[in-house]
Amino acid sequence: MILGCNFGSVAHTDMYNNLGNPAGVQGPNVNPQPNPFGNAFYGAGSGLIRGGLGAYGEKFLGSSSEFMQSNISRYFSNPQYYFQVNEQYVRNKVKVILFPLLHRGHWTRITEPVGGRLSYKPPIYDINAPDLYIPFMAFGTYIILAGFTIGLMGKFSPEAMSMQFTRGLAGWFIEVLLLKGLLYSLGGGEAPLLDLVAYSGYAFTGLSLTLLARLCWSYSYYALMPWMSLCMGIFLVKTMKRVFFTEMRSYEKHSSRQHYLLLFMAIAQFPLFFWLGKISA
Amino acid sequence: MAKEFAVRPVIFPSSTGNPNVPQHSRHPGAASAPPFQPPRPTAPGPANPSIPFMSFDVGAASASSSFSAPVFASVSTGGGGHFSVPGSFEDEPPLLEELGINTRQIWRKTLSILNPFRVKPDLHEDADLSGPFLFLMAFGLFQLLAGKFHFGIILGWVTVAALFLYVVFNMLAGRNGNLDLYRCLSLVGYCMLPMVILSAASLFVPHGGVLIFSMAAVFVLWSTRVCTGLLVELASGGDEHRGLIAYACCLVYLLFSLLIIF
Repeated sequence: MILGCNFGSVAHTDMYNNLGNPAGVQGPNVNPQPNPFGNAFYGAGSGLIRGGLGAYGEKFLGSSSEFMQSNISRYFSNPQYYFQVNEQYVRNKVKVILFPLLHRGHWTRITEPVGGRLSYKPPIYDINAPDLYIPFMAFGTYIILAGFTIGLMGKFSPEAMSMQFTRGLAGWFIEVLLLKGLLYSLGGGEAPLLDLVAYSGYAFTGLSLTLLARLCWSYSYYALMPWMSLCMGIFLVKTMKRVFFTEMRSYEKHSSRQHYLLLFMAIAQFPLFFWLGKISA
Repeated sequence: MAKEFAVRPVIFPSSTGNPNVPQHSRHPGAASAPPFQPPRPTAPGPANPSIPFMSFDVGAASASSSFSAPVFASVSTGGGGHFSVPGSFEDEPPLLEELGINTRQIWRKTLSILNPFRVKPDLHEDADLSGPFLFLMAFGLFQLLAGKFHFGIILGWVTVAALFLYVVFNMLAGRNGNLDLYRCLSLVGYCMLPMVILSAASLFVPHGGVLIFSMAAVFVLWSTRVCTGLLVELASGGDEHRGLIAYACCLVYLLFSLLIIF
């Protein structure tokens, strides 16, 4: 369970390596001292093991500052970047997700040169940066509201809750696959995985709001669900467009294929939302 | 399986009065009430070379007990006080202290949770899991009285909730987050007290009415407030994220209130 994560010498090329580790400002990825637990799993294959288990394995034994100092794989990108949020950011970002048409500013992420490389500013400074706090909390809210819905139907049981949890996770996973497939089919596949996880997780905010409205008045569901799917579609289109622009080679910009795929992504939100919103015991 | 044992069978001192037969009992139950007394009056000498450990004489009954003191101490704890053997039974600390369960401290911590408006973080400096264990058992008991057998579910959900809070808090706090899982579990468990009270109260309240929902709202807010206050005070790095952590705690306790309400 002890994972020594010192992968400084694992080679990953691309610009997104640098962009995916924008914590150069905060410095946790600079690793001057050796990891005290040694390189026990040096070269272990999947980034998921290092990122996921490394997060739990290392923190279980002590303070998380050791975790911060270790070089979790660049492919998985530093998760701590996504949690640099404050309450004002959360409020504004939720407003952007739920009402993307009202967002006055631009949608591009602010970059800053850090130590010679280009990296994105953390979410505190940039409203367009993805974060993981909102998706986690929205997912939790979704589960709780689903539990209330099932309970009010009279069919509450803890097994039903676990079922909803698994369903929500599956929906999140499908959404990530959708975004990843989109990126891959357009040629640039190097966006950090956690960015895509964050963008997909924002869907749960709209879902939670719809579930809450349905608890108050059951017919609001029929109006609110298509509206939320539309909003999520718009949000994703605007965000992924910017992601493509940073990825793509210049001769492929503004192609009609790109636009059709973005439209497909927006339309695919509707069945996904309806499936996730259908709470049955 | 007729195997020849090196140990001779036990021959108890009856009317035969055979002074040279070696007597020993490997079984503590065989010499139960009276202290074990080998009846040989004379020194054994080289009579029984196959049983080298029988080299004590009968006069010192306490000396014999020194051989079998550990055995007796475990069997007849009532008689343990009779044996004045150095360093074994009387010097052992009391059981609760040895287990690390400080009942006075648990009681004080419990009382401090009862006041939602003033958190006392110094009492919760040292984390322990026995208080939470008691609360969770009481919670399960009240749920059982309501007809729901939720012991395993409570255990699993508390673990998951503590893990969730641990991850969220440490990620939000960043480099200077030093919450560890043990303390997180201890705090989550202690702040379950309002939930335990809610589950006790829900036994007397009509199911599905407005009253149970409003009570649940109040108790969840109580739990959240205490939990957030303790988390922020005890682990560094959480001060500027109070609202964010409060929302996470609120989700955790709403989850448990679901178990109680429905």
